[in-house]
Amino acid sequence: MNGSYSTRMLRTIAAWLVVAVFFFPIYYWTSVAFKHGNDIFNRPPKLFAFTPTFDNFQKVFGISLGSGGITVTPGGGNFYMAPRVWDSIVIATLSTVLAVAIATLAAYALSRMNFRGRHSFVGWVLSTRMMPPVAVAVPMFFIYKSFGLIDTYTGMVLIHALMNLPLAVLLMKSFFDDIPSEIDESAIVDGASRFMIFRRIVLPMAKGGIAATAVLCFIFSWTEFLFALTLTTTSVKTVPVVSSTFVTSIGTAWGNMAALGAASIIPAFIFILLVQKHLVRGLTMGSLKQ
Amino acid sequence: MRVAQARRFVISDHPLPWLLPLVAILLVFTVYPLIYNIWLSFHEFVPRRRALEFVGTENWVQLWNDTRFWQSLVITFTYFAIALVFELVLGMAIALLLDSDGFGFGFLRGVLTMTLVIPPAIVGMMYLLMEDPQFGVISYVLQSIGLLNPNNPILATASTALAGVLVAEIWQWTPFMVLIFLAGLRALPPEPYEAAMIDGASSFQIFRRITLPMMSKVIAIAVLVRGIDLFRVFDYVFVMTSGGPGASTYSLSLYAWQQTFSFVKWGYGATLSLVTLVIILVIANLFIRIAKVRW
Repeated sequence: MNGSYSTRMLRTIAAWLVVAVFFFPIYYWTSVAFKHGNDIFNRPPKLFAFTPTFDNFQKVFGISLGSGGITVTPGGGNFYMAPRVWDSIVIATLSTVLAVAIATLAAYALSRMNFRGRHSFVGWVLSTRMMPPVAVAVPMFFIYKSFGLIDTYTGMVLIHALMNLPLAVLLMKSFFDDIPSEIDESAIVDGASRFMIFRRIVLPMAKGGIAATAVLCFIFSWTEFLFALTLTTTSVKTVPVVSSTFVTSIGTAWGNMAALGAASIIPAFIFILLVQKHLVRGLTMGSLKQ
Repeated sequence: MRVAQARRFVISDHPLPWLLPLVAILLVFTVYPLIYNIWLSFHEFVPRRRALEFVGTENWVQLWNDTRFWQSLVITFTYFAIALVFELVLGMAIALLLDSDGFGFGFLRGVLTMTLVIPPAIVGMMYLLMEDPQFGVISYVLQSIGLLNPNNPILATASTALAGVLVAEIWQWTPFMVLIFLAGLRALPPEPYEAAMIDGASSFQIFRRITLPMMSKVIAIAVLVRGIDLFRVFDYVFVMTSGGPGASTYSLSLYAWQQTFSFVKWGYGATLSLVTLVIILVIANLFIRIAKVRW
């Protein structure tokens, strides 16, 4: 609505203030990542006036900013977390590939083929999204144990792919629904097989949708906590789980934890900005189009 | 012959080959756990013999008589309701505020997206620090304006712990609502608004009579998607309070998880997680029917 100049001004100020309130915890957390211990444990809390330090990042990632530029020193310290970041990347990437591949195939059939029970099949896929993770994690723990899948990439990739499947299927279906089916039909008349149409025509047209689906799957795997907590022990661990281990009996390593946390949201944030156009559709599992 | 037959089936119009990988993984990872949970709920681990033993309906009887279960059910519903109301109302208010093409508004919407990509477990740690009674910035502000007694740490006092967790939850997920509502607002047709302006309707009337009814589908979907996640809350309570102090922040998911993994009560943990599942399925499907949400 286009009010007078003063109401527009007021609205702009209010909008900036509200977003500033939401941004503040992120700023504060990032500032902790650059603080020395005694600046973190200060009362009143120091918001701006502190001497920045790179120590926390150095401890967590083994990277230091010395006089000779950036040097990398992979340490064996308790808070050296680069391997855990790697674990998170591997699990998120592979589970995304798996989920998107399976979902794309299924979504094409659900979007294009008429078969009995299609509607209830979609309902079934949606209802698996309602399962509380704890109801899956408890039985999977015992099954994984007997198959030796605890604490392995395979186990984590499978469970995260499963977790993302309902979202990926429904989202990809909505993107396929956008592509007019006349294209398929004319290709069939020309003698193309279903799979050829899928690979040569529909997939290239749905590229943007596939990218958006992949980004969301990646982020949900990246931020997942309960499965990673339950199904891993020592050799494989994701970032959210190790963050909670920074709480030790002699206190919490806030600076190190903040450095890890702040660094871990940067890639996810960049990814999500890349697919901002489809974000709302993704967050609502394909039911709302922007 | 066989190969050719199989080949023809794979490239045919039949949906089965397309759906098979999905069906296989869903069967293995959701139907099998469900059956296993049901089986487990009639058994219990006996530490003395280091084995699972059949106990009949003992777990279900225990569930019925377990005050802590009923308590965690109430806590989960309370958490669900408070968070949903706050996220809906704040989300709608902020969406209306940000629904503008003015300079910088696109940037502001982008900044709000940031909260959604942070792992909830790390958000929990963020608020754990900010609500620390000595050097937490939230506690400090509340104490200096006299709203908080320094002797009652937010997360270690039974009456305020749930509110302390809810602050983290609402902070992270209000932007989720904002983004969804903004998309809905931007898709609204301008004609009803023009007509209302001519008739001299107030902005509250316009919101109440035009915006809300036209947004009902969007709101219903936002409630469904967020509501499912709210009901299975685990991450925040696990890292911030572990259910305490006392049992004031025990969610159903956390209670089920702890029974299984901290107290080695496998059968009872499975019973609890089954109950959580059934409640979500029933409520969500009722909601889908009533609100006529369609995919």
